[in-house]
Amino acid sequence: MFKHFQKGNAIKSLIFFALIFYFGKVFDPYNQGQLSVVLIYFIGILSITLLTGLSGQISLGQGALMAVGGYTCALVVLNLGLSYWQSIIISAVVSLIAGWLLGITAARLSGPYLAGTTLVIALAIPSLATRFESVFGGDVGLSVDFGNPPEWLSGAIGEIGYEQWQLFAILPFATIALFLALNIFKSRTGRSWRAVRDHEIAASLTGINVQRVKIFTFVVASGFAGLAGAMYGLRGIVGPSVYPVSLSLALLTGAILGGLRSIAGAFFGAALVVFLPDLIDKITGGWELAPQVGDYLPAMVSGILLILTVVLNPAGIAGALHHHKPRHK
Amino acid sequence: MNIRASLSRKKLIGLTAVLIAGSMTLAEIPANANSSDVSGTSDIVLGMQLPQTGLASPGYNKIDDAMRGYFDYVNSKGGIGGKKIRLEVKDDGYKAGLTISTASSLINKEKVFSFVGSVGTQTHIAVIKDINRRKIPDVFVNTGYTEFYKPATYPTTFAALGTYVTEAKIMGKYLKETYADKKIGILYQTDDFGRNALKGFNEAGLTFEKKKTEASFISGTQSNPGLGSQIGQLKANGVEIAIIAAVSSATAVSLLTASALGYKPEKWVVISVGADATTIQTIAGLRGIAPADSAALLKGLISASHAPAPGDSSDEYVSAFKKINDEFNKGPDKRWDNNVLQGMNIGYMTVGALMGTLNTKTVFSAKNNKTCQANAKKGTLSRVCFIDYMESNGSKINSAAFSALQYSATTHEAFSGFWIGAYDAATVLQPVGGTRVVYTTDSGSGLVTVSNYKRPAIAADALPKN
Amino acid sequence: MEQFLSAVFAGTASGSIYALVALGLVLVWRGAGVINFAQMGQAMFSTYVASTMIINGYSYWIAFFVALAVGTALGTAVDLLVMRPLSGKRSSAMLASPAMRGTVPVIASLGILGILQAAAGMIWAAEERGFPAPVNTLGLTIGGTVMPFTAFDLFVIGIVLVTLIITTIFFQKTGMGLAMRASALNPEVARLSGIRTSSVRTLSWAISGAASSLAGLLVTPNTNLSPNTLDLILIIGFTATVIGGLDSLPGGVLGGFILGLVISFVNVYSSPSDIFLAILALLLIVLLVRPQGILGSKEARRV
Repeated sequence: MFKHFQKGNAIKSLIFFALIFYFGKVFDPYNQGQLSVVLIYFIGILSITLLTGLSGQISLGQGALMAVGGYTCALVVLNLGLSYWQSIIISAVVSLIAGWLLGITAARLSGPYLAGTTLVIALAIPSLATRFESVFGGDVGLSVDFGNPPEWLSGAIGEIGYEQWQLFAILPFATIALFLALNIFKSRTGRSWRAVRDHEIAASLTGINVQRVKIFTFVVASGFAGLAGAMYGLRGIVGPSVYPVSLSLALLTGAILGGLRSIAGAFFGAALVVFLPDLIDKITGGWELAPQVGDYLPAMVSGILLILTVVLNPAGIAGALHHHKPRHK
Repeated sequence: MNIRASLSRKKLIGLTAVLIAGSMTLAEIPANANSSDVSGTSDIVLGMQLPQTGLASPGYNKIDDAMRGYFDYVNSKGGIGGKKIRLEVKDDGYKAGLTISTASSLINKEKVFSFVGSVGTQTHIAVIKDINRRKIPDVFVNTGYTEFYKPATYPTTFAALGTYVTEAKIMGKYLKETYADKKIGILYQTDDFGRNALKGFNEAGLTFEKKKTEASFISGTQSNPGLGSQIGQLKANGVEIAIIAAVSSATAVSLLTASALGYKPEKWVVISVGADATTIQTIAGLRGIAPADSAALLKGLISASHAPAPGDSSDEYVSAFKKINDEFNKGPDKRWDNNVLQGMNIGYMTVGALMGTLNTKTVFSAKNNKTCQANAKKGTLSRVCFIDYMESNGSKINSAAFSALQYSATTHEAFSGFWIGAYDAATVLQPVGGTRVVYTTDSGSGLVTVSNYKRPAIAADALPKN
Repeated sequence: MEQFLSAVFAGTASGSIYALVALGLVLVWRGAGVINFAQMGQAMFSTYVASTMIINGYSYWIAFFVALAVGTALGTAVDLLVMRPLSGKRSSAMLASPAMRGTVPVIASLGILGILQAAAGMIWAAEERGFPAPVNTLGLTIGGTVMPFTAFDLFVIGIVLVTLIITTIFFQKTGMGLAMRASALNPEVARLSGIRTSSVRTLSWAISGAASSLAGLLVTPNTNLSPNTLDLILIIGFTATVIGGLDSLPGGVLGGFILGLVISFVNVYSSPSDIFLAILALLLIVLLVRPQGILGSKEARRV
């Protein structure tokens, strides 16, 4: 895929980096933290964009692959004593291998069978934590974090808060993920994924090895998910309650709301999922709501948005922002 | 759809949206953002995290309403030295990833003075390090997980309950002595609660045999209709004294399943967290089991408690709290039960600790005494002094419990004392043997001894006098 | 021996619950070509309605039938408000590829599930409730010992088998059933042969709505009722349909009983921490040998 390296993609990624960095400087600490989660979800949703949007395979279990990344990262940090960024890279690599194993199985399945298998994986992987408690720390999990900001950084840009440091530690990885995704989308690899999505038989007639493409998609998507999972864990804890089934579903929700077939959509979806409760809080702040109504309002709204999106605006926010009527390819 | 140009433009629009969302919240930062001190008649803002939605929420979602009810009562009496208490509650759905965000919201947006009464071991562990690093008080945490209460690791965190290990040790000793020649078995939920309870029983010399007298189920899966096989296991192995270490709703399912299977051990023993008679009877009642029948099922069931039974209307704390609950609790479900009593009691202890910190006669630890007494004179509440008061004067914070808070420089565990009781025909826990004997021990290998603590009376206005 | 028998009976009893859930899922799949993740949400919601009626003094059976009516209405509403507008979008970019056609309704049903759970939380304050069984729930005595198997479990198995037989006859022998099958498998061809496919689909959503509220009414006496308690049962029920074969009614029932027994035996002879891993292992083994499930047909796999 690197053969298709494009200068435009590098520039876009750098603009992305600069913008987020700027927001990281002007946001208050709470929103810096929220922006970190947006970036992590962005990477996680990208894995769905690639897997489902680009190659047409559904996964209800990306959260489990995030758990693979998270646990790998925590174990590497705690047992090998490597720094956080080395651990993140190792986690992404281990997740690639996990994705390969999953892909071999998944390539044989489609539609609901694949959905069912990935859903059960999302349920089963966190239970490994209690099954092998001495390694994975059981229910309470493994405590890890990004540590303190390095001196050269605070020397360069001034005093760095805790949330801000998390954001700045995550940002380079998000930028790299964006750059890779942009390249995959435009490369010949991406085109062959699309071909498999749109018509398997036609794709195989043009000489594409459908099975291999499907497995490879899973491998790449798992790398993204593992990367996101490692950083999600580094926010404070790696444990079963960090990667529940609902995390997989939240990622899927974000992917749909933002626009399943667009990289920008992945970002919008992540931002919407993360900021939705705050927005609702803001809007309903002055209303006299019964407490349980307020508690369940975010879930209600995101359910309604999900249905409105698939029925009225299947291309998501990204599609709606697109002025031209979406052509399908 | 084709992804080509216009990516940066779209992204710009998106990022602007994020910026708007962010700056909306930016505008809210109060002027005194730099100081955590509460002075004059400003509100004391307290933060709490708990699952208000999702699988883990039933039962626990009543604690915050009870706490707020007690705080509202205190506010109606003029607050603490003119300061009103405001409780900000955040729902984390028992998802640790979300707990980190809601903690940040409480810290950075709500500018809480202290965290109070947070629920959930698996979620609290995600934020406890950060809260401590920022030196924010983290008081009356609603879990009995022992590791949280080591001041060397977490200096600002204090417990609200006796630890699961402590209770299990006391119960274990009692069972071992009382039912020496009986076969004792256990059904526990596989999480920190269940495993810590198991550890406590082992510490007390009670051991179980896996697959025979030791059965377990995954916490939160009491809804999975498979509890029958675990109950069947205890039954098949002739367990005569059956311990249940599970939350109340799961205890209800276990007891009802056992009754359906005709399994009647000589004694049921239920750890206090799971022995809320109101919850059990409500669930049974909605299953069409008449209150008289579920009461018969509960009669004789052994449990322990660090506080009075909620059904014990002769207890002065219970009746005082119940009155406040009727008048001030505005939650959707304020039925009087263990959770509501616990919430009221945490509210009472919190107010006691805040009052004590602001009391000019308080003697703090040598290190902070001068500053904190000066603060108290000015009517300024500071985090350092609040934590100092909790640690150095914890035993002076009264509550409905039958043992003193044992906070010290070496432990932040809350109650060391439990009494053992059995349910009577009216489903009120009554002391075994007729008189209440409170046993006390630690979470380590210390001995179980009889406590001679005498609980101070509650004042007529139900306010602490610290 | 008693332990073994007890595992068998407990597994059969919970298996019947999973079988019932699986039947509902297969029904919608065959009638409308959609995996309905909102099914247990519909079940939960209508059971809360029944529970509230019982609390307010109505008899069990009145509440029972009202719940079935609510379930039917919910199923119809899901189709009219969500699934029908969605299927009208076959030509849109999202649904253009065959792979996505199976995916998008699944996502819509997850949205419905979210709405129903949130609504239940708002209305009933998420309190955990119990729910009565229509027949007694005392264990049956076999050879002097009481087994983890009650008259109610027998009742549920009876319902499962009756539902299985009725729906099988319905699909294979009646014109309406054949029309349903045809419109699910190939809507275009069905439409060309004169079947009013949209009405047929609405009918199958209505029937499955009733079936899922029946599942809710029969599952909750063995569990508790709260907005989320049925999530796990849905996942296991869904796994049962995948193992048994998505388009096969007997397959779903078979899958349900297999899973019930596997879970029960893992519980008794291994440890509860192994349950989900055992389910995963079973699922992978079955799908690697037969990607369309034990009794599923080949064409169903091509969504």
